[in-house]
Amino acid sequence: GTVTESATGLPVPGVNILVKGTTNGTTTDFDGNYTVSNINQGDVLVFSFLGFSSREITFAGQTNLNVQLDESDAALEEVVLIGYGATTRQDATGAVEKISPAQFNRGAVVSPETLIAGKSAGVRITPSSEPGGGSEIRIRGGSSLSGNNSPLIVVDGIPLDQRGVQGVRNQLNAINPDEIEDFVILKDAAATSIYGSRASNGVILITTKKGSLESDFAMDYDIKVAFGQITDKVDVLNAAQFRDIVTNAPGTNPALLGNADTDWQDQIYRTSLGAIHNVTVSEGFDSFTYRVNLNRTDQQGVLKTDLYERTAINATLTQDLFDKNLKITLNAKGILDQNHFADQGAIGAAVSFDPTQPVYDPTSPFGGYFEFRGGSDPDPLRTEFRQATRNPLALLEQRENNSTNKRTISNLNLDYRFHFLPELRFNLNAGIDYSELDGFETRPLTSAVVGDDIAYENYYTGINRNSLLDFYFNYKSAIEAIDTKLDLTAGHSYQEFYIGDRQRFTQSNEFQNTFNINRNALESYFARASFDISNRYLISASYRRDGSSRFSKENRWSNFPSVSVGWKLMNEPFLQNSTFFSDLKLRAGYGVTGNQEIGGNYGYLGIYTPSRGRADVQFGYNSNGSPRFVNTLRPEEFDANLKWEELQTYNAGLDFGFFNGRLSGSVDGYYRRTEDLLATVPVPAGANLSDLLTTNVGETVSRGIEVGLNGILVSTDDFNWNVNYNITFQDLEITRLSLGEDPNFFIPQGGISGGVGNNIQIWKEGYDPSTFFVYRQVYNEQGQPIEGAYVDVNGDNQITEADKQAYKKGTPDYFMGFTNSISYKNLDFSFTFRGNFGNYVYNNTQSSNGFVGAGTVTPQDYYSNLNANVLQTNFQQNQFFSDYYVRRADFVRLDNVSLSYLIPGDAVNVRASLTGTNLLTITDYVGLDPEISNGIDNNFYPRTRNVVVGLNFSF
Amino acid sequence: CQDELDLAPEDERQTSAAVFSNPASYEQFLAKLYAGIALSGQQGPAGQPDLAGLDEGFSNYLRLYFSMQELTTDEAVIGWNDGTIANLHAQTWTSGNEFIRTMYSRIMYQVALTNEFLRQTSDEALSDRGVDGQLRTDIQNYRAEARFLRALSYWHALDLFGNPPFITENDPIGAFLPQQTDSQSLFAFIESELKAIENQILPPRHTYGRADQAAVWMLLSKLYLNAETYTGTPRYADVITYTTKVIEAGYEIPDVPYQNLFLADNDRNGAQKEIIFPITFDALNTQSYGGMTFIIHASVGGTMVPRDFGIDGGWAGLRTTQQFVDKFPGGADSDDTRALFHSDGQTKEVLSIGNFNHGYAVAKYKNVNVNGNRGDYPAGFVDTDFPMFRLADAYLMYAEVVARNQGGDVSKAVGYINELRERAYGNPSQNISAGDLTPTFILNERARELYWEAHRRTDLIRFNQFTENGIWAFKGGVPQGSTTPSYRNLMPIPASDLGVNTNLTQNPGY
Repeated sequence: GTVTESATGLPVPGVNILVKGTTNGTTTDFDGNYTVSNINQGDVLVFSFLGFSSREITFAGQTNLNVQLDESDAALEEVVLIGYGATTRQDATGAVEKISPAQFNRGAVVSPETLIAGKSAGVRITPSSEPGGGSEIRIRGGSSLSGNNSPLIVVDGIPLDQRGVQGVRNQLNAINPDEIEDFVILKDAAATSIYGSRASNGVILITTKKGSLESDFAMDYDIKVAFGQITDKVDVLNAAQFRDIVTNAPGTNPALLGNADTDWQDQIYRTSLGAIHNVTVSEGFDSFTYRVNLNRTDQQGVLKTDLYERTAINATLTQDLFDKNLKITLNAKGILDQNHFADQGAIGAAVSFDPTQPVYDPTSPFGGYFEFRGGSDPDPLRTEFRQATRNPLALLEQRENNSTNKRTISNLNLDYRFHFLPELRFNLNAGIDYSELDGFETRPLTSAVVGDDIAYENYYTGINRNSLLDFYFNYKSAIEAIDTKLDLTAGHSYQEFYIGDRQRFTQSNEFQNTFNINRNALESYFARASFDISNRYLISASYRRDGSSRFSKENRWSNFPSVSVGWKLMNEPFLQNSTFFSDLKLRAGYGVTGNQEIGGNYGYLGIYTPSRGRADVQFGYNSNGSPRFVNTLRPEEFDANLKWEELQTYNAGLDFGFFNGRLSGSVDGYYRRTEDLLATVPVPAGANLSDLLTTNVGETVSRGIEVGLNGILVSTDDFNWNVNYNITFQDLEITRLSLGEDPNFFIPQGGISGGVGNNIQIWKEGYDPSTFFVYRQVYNEQGQPIEGAYVDVNGDNQITEADKQAYKKGTPDYFMGFTNSISYKNLDFSFTFRGNFGNYVYNNTQSSNGFVGAGTVTPQDYYSNLNANVLQTNFQQNQFFSDYYVRRADFVRLDNVSLSYLIPGDAVNVRASLTGTNLLTITDYVGLDPEISNGIDNNFYPRTRNVVVGLNFSF
Repeated sequence: CQDELDLAPEDERQTSAAVFSNPASYEQFLAKLYAGIALSGQQGPAGQPDLAGLDEGFSNYLRLYFSMQELTTDEAVIGWNDGTIANLHAQTWTSGNEFIRTMYSRIMYQVALTNEFLRQTSDEALSDRGVDGQLRTDIQNYRAEARFLRALSYWHALDLFGNPPFITENDPIGAFLPQQTDSQSLFAFIESELKAIENQILPPRHTYGRADQAAVWMLLSKLYLNAETYTGTPRYADVITYTTKVIEAGYEIPDVPYQNLFLADNDRNGAQKEIIFPITFDALNTQSYGGMTFIIHASVGGTMVPRDFGIDGGWAGLRTTQQFVDKFPGGADSDDTRALFHSDGQTKEVLSIGNFNHGYAVAKYKNVNVNGNRGDYPAGFVDTDFPMFRLADAYLMYAEVVARNQGGDVSKAVGYINELRERAYGNPSQNISAGDLTPTFILNERARELYWEAHRRTDLIRFNQFTENGIWAFKGGVPQGSTTPSYRNLMPIPASDLGVNTNLTQNPGY
């Protein structure tokens, strides 16, 4: 027979033809012709060729069997998980993006979310530089003001507690980055609303790796060793410059200065070392697989004494039963997370500590560390100036704070296909995420921080428990009569979150105890129906009904519907034969999602809190003459009408592919409106039992355009070059903020360092929530800011708060990521750039220490170092609210460069790699780092530049 | 699983239904009303704040009230960088000032707390819970104290804001918009409340730390003394009536040094005989970063030795003006022992607010006892109680009415003043005669006797010396001082509340 391509009728050479279950087969010749001999009636012939869908045809005795093959697009048929089910890329009607390991950032990745930083349009990930620290993740910028703005993370079907896990730096560290099969990011409501009340900030589904059936025993060992250094230091005065300023400032006593020349930042930072080991074994039989991974991670921080260690096991077992109609998957993760937390107060202390003072002082009673002292107390351990900055190195070295968090995330999944009705499937998922924290913090009596007669001790323990039981039925069928495929899902879920914590710590020479329990629960019903008509028109609708223990019976339940449509233009006759397009699909959707992460659990309920610690009141005297103290009881503020925050999302998208998939991508546009916004706002005075109340007030509107492009620039056997580019334009605006009508109403936000009660940002109608609120600085002819001279905006001849103006914002207008992956034979090379544009940063390190008074007007006999910016401004007093400090912080960062080489062998393949991260930042911003998530640059834990050497052995 | 969604607190927090099954809860709730003035939250010294809009330590009632009444006057300046705190002394505050806002919030919070107490102890509520016997009798006393504390806070609201929102126990808890009241109505409400509880509340000197009949009379006296400011109608005769009740209630000017009133043991060193209503503090049990902790720590700086003040380190920055020092003959070296200044290392003139060495420090309050020792307690809190109402104030109020020729007995008035001056000078050499008893003398004598006790702003307004008249360093924001417009006799309604409560109208001028 002859094999031809269905679309063009042209013959296809090189097609594999195999008699199923045998080694008997052949391939088509140049003209698509083939001959198979030695074949019996009833045998199945399998026709397969790369880029085409395989066909199986039962041999019925024909002498001539002509076959047409359909071109397939592997990318389009790729299975993509969505909540409680799966679809394919070509059938997805929502804004859904899957990111696979080939696209991940490389290097010694400790926190899994950094794998996908810069990889997806609409997703902004701001990494932390703490060892094992968590990143800020924002999908479409977040939707809430006071509620949570982080996406819901679902790991192997278990939605994690959005409040995180106590005592760990990043709850996602429980997932070994090496064990992640893929991330699926659900961005719009059509995709997320099946997760209802937790979906307003997007959803990230993380799937971990499993073994595959019928695979040989494989073993893999991987080691990465990382070296990290800070890229820059805060620009402060050196000893000579500082001495000069103190000497010339009025009213100072230069005799208080020392004779040393200490760079305090050099004292607290170091080259960090890290190592990650992974051992993985896996094997697959015909109905059973296992995969076991052992991980050990050690990562120092660049801040001395900071350390993160992880010892983890991840085991996945799958078993198929009853002719593969029942699949059982057991996934168990065990994680031992150990931290030594450095006192991050040392970062600020190092910036402001007098550089003329030495690190050590042989006469010091404070463990030999220099401390500002001179008090008259006869006890040498009481002579420190209590208001003075503490020795930064002593802060680090005189504190121990170690915690251990034992955690398991485990789930058992049963997936049963009914024998008598194979279209119907039942899926049951039982999961638990349980962790125990045990920590101890101490400072010795010789620490100048300790003011008691006993050493500081703080024992803290806690339990987090997140238990889940959900099930759903799924029915998939085709109705030939109307040429429609349908996919129906309905289910129920119950999830409970429990957090308990206990603390026992010294205060005022005694131990104090605290104890809290916070429990909340969610019960949900959900359903989804998807129709594919004529393989061209897609319609999907989903519905979730959530009940939360956080709301009163009247407001407890809420509905989260969505509907979306898709049009597979590619399958229309007028495009079917196009050689230009390889994919074209239009999508549109609308949906409602919610947010219930509002902080407290009993915000609708009036509850009473007894006083603890030292908050009693004297009522007269006891019979023995001692004062009688009465514990107090406080009624808490509440809003009986507290209800769900609701987000409505409209989304339209276009998926496209050109030139046989060589260039593909998506464009999405969205409009989102949050109603009944949960915001902590001033309550009308007297109406409630606090000044601020978390309640449903206001609205925000956000809009955005997201473009993601993938290009295959070169694709040959030896040389491949892939490019990924994404860009996101975002805009978020508060459209309503209070019950009143005052257009000038605003709520100050964004506390800064340098004085209490100072806020630099505002929430106000018409503005982004990260908008700065500042005076307009007046400059002299040389362009120097004139101290204290601001624009008198309202013309009343005085400068008051009324002259402050909304000015710029902390979030970017647009941001992008750009990745190149190049391979030549066994050599792989990749690099990723990431950039934010239109974002501004308030340089609080300059404003809080960049004036002479900050160092010379002190409550006790010591001085504090100044930011070198004072040499430019010559400011004598604070000018916190000058827009001079609001600086443009656009940047482009070379985030990741990786080179690896594969040495193939008989029994073992070896891959060697070299990765550099955070190699280069192009920015005009003067300061440590322009990438500051809240837009206020203060005591920032510096991001490190890392070099990582890796070796991977697969046996 | 739907029942699983009915969750209530499982730790020490309790629902209102559960909490009042404990008979002790009523006294504990009452204690919270007193703590509303002394403390900042449910965890000492900080950790579970009552108010969230400002740093917890700053949000303390007494600290804010001190700031409103003293920082705005010649008695105090503070050199800190915190928010708009400098605008208080400069009298350039706006409706956005966070300290004024939080004072307002704190007062209204205190009112809301007392309202909730009155709701939870209504006859109906108590009967529903089967409360009777001694507990029910005690609760009637508690209710009178709650109403006193509400009247006290409403008096602060009247004095500072004139036209605040008005709520009683008949209003709900929620997000509703309270109605605004005016000075006349609020004056009448406070007066009627105090008169209603006058004979229900505990007799004078019943229990140290709790409000009693004498506290009610003091508050009525202060209300009537300033009645012309509040309502336009003077009520001096009532001042004589109620100060006389206070004076005859058995309090005395004890034969101990003036400074004893402001020491760690002022609840038992003799000074307590004069104190009518203290805000109590205890270094161990009543800890906060506001109140007396703030007043003592913030006044210690420069060459002052923290140990002499019974603290482990001063915060520095709180000083006084040269104009106030000059109220004492001889200034800081006056023979008047009430002139408790620290001048070493300080200039008398305030040429810069931000320079902590400008202006004398005030060494009035200390956390040491009469022997100069602090409690055996090392950390940074204090035992010193704040004498909110004391007999000397009643004497001065009585004498003021006499000096204004509005009634009272001249010889009694002169006798009262001389009792204070004899304590101040240790002898009768500086006693006055009837001819010296002028309104101006009274204003100055009140400053000398009662400075830093949170009376000054009210006194200056009553004598019309706060804004249009009266000059001191940095008043008006200029070093030599200037007058300010009279609308600043009232504080602005905070912009944040005007923004959320459409029932409110801003005070004139702002």
